[in-house]
Amino acid sequence: MYRPLIIPLLALAMSVPLAAQTVTATLSADLGTIAKLSLSTTTLTFPDADPDLVPQVPASGGPVAITAKARAASGEIVLTVLANGPARSGVNTISADAFTWTASGSGFVAGTLSSTVPQQVASWNGSGIHDGVQSYLFRNSWNYPVGVYSMTLTYTLTAP
Amino acid sequence: MRFRLLTLRLALLAAGVAALPASAAAQRIDLSVSPLTINFPIADPDLVPLVSSTAVQITYRIRQNDGPWTMTVLALGDLISGVATVDISNVTWIATPAPPFQNGTLSKTVAQRLAGGSGSINPTATGQVTFRLANSWTYTAGLYTQTIIFTLSTP
Repeated sequence: MYRPLIIPLLALAMSVPLAAQTVTATLSADLGTIAKLSLSTTTLTFPDADPDLVPQVPASGGPVAITAKARAASGEIVLTVLANGPARSGVNTISADAFTWTASGSGFVAGTLSSTVPQQVASWNGSGIHDGVQSYLFRNSWNYPVGVYSMTLTYTLTAP
Repeated sequence: MRFRLLTLRLALLAAGVAALPASAAAQRIDLSVSPLTINFPIADPDLVPLVSSTAVQITYRIRQNDGPWTMTVLALGDLISGVATVDISNVTWIATPAPPFQNGTLSKTVAQRLAGGSGSINPTATGQVTFRLANSWTYTAGLYTQTIIFTLSTP
């Protein structure tokens, strides 16, 4: 009487479904704001020239190639340039706004140097790598005292 | 009368078998992961194109098993930071020892095999998994998270 009933019971015990254990973990990635700027040259040189023949003196080293890399959360990524003062040769000075530039590349704009207010070189929306070229010109004049003038430019790349 | 008694006994035993999977799994399979939060630190994509997490230790034991076993990992979605996402396929892993562990790429749709073998693993064994995130300048900045599920199973 018992035997026929035991057989189906064993069959049922053998058909145990998957045995499994799970563990839940969390991935956390800090992809924070980061910005990186590189220039093809750190020195600009404007050669001596006759103001009548060359009223706008281009930099002898050619254009400045700029690569701006930025990872931003939202809003506008901005590249600016600021002169540390007028170009100086001893006590003589030439105003920073004697230097202008033209630009090419997505987001890049032409402008004029200032020693008081950072001037926008380029701007973009969203993260990414941006390349452009800035070509400086020096406004020549008979009025400048003779000398070798220099000044420092500071580029700032800001990502929100 | 005797037949009725037997029927009752059978019903009770059957109920015991039906409840078996959960208790059997607890007895036969042990899986733990440490740490449970796996961090990718911020890094310059130029200098660190693949951002590595700290090593994750997998500890497991399988008893009373004569057949194959498999360990998988599944992401519940892409990495998310607000409305921004990073496709989960940008997360890969390297795992040791191989075998039974293997390298792979996270998926949000199909559980990916992390390790596998056959028979029992007793005493406890361990493996090391290092997750790696493909770094990029194009990601929207933010702190991204996602849940992943490790599963150790035997048929």
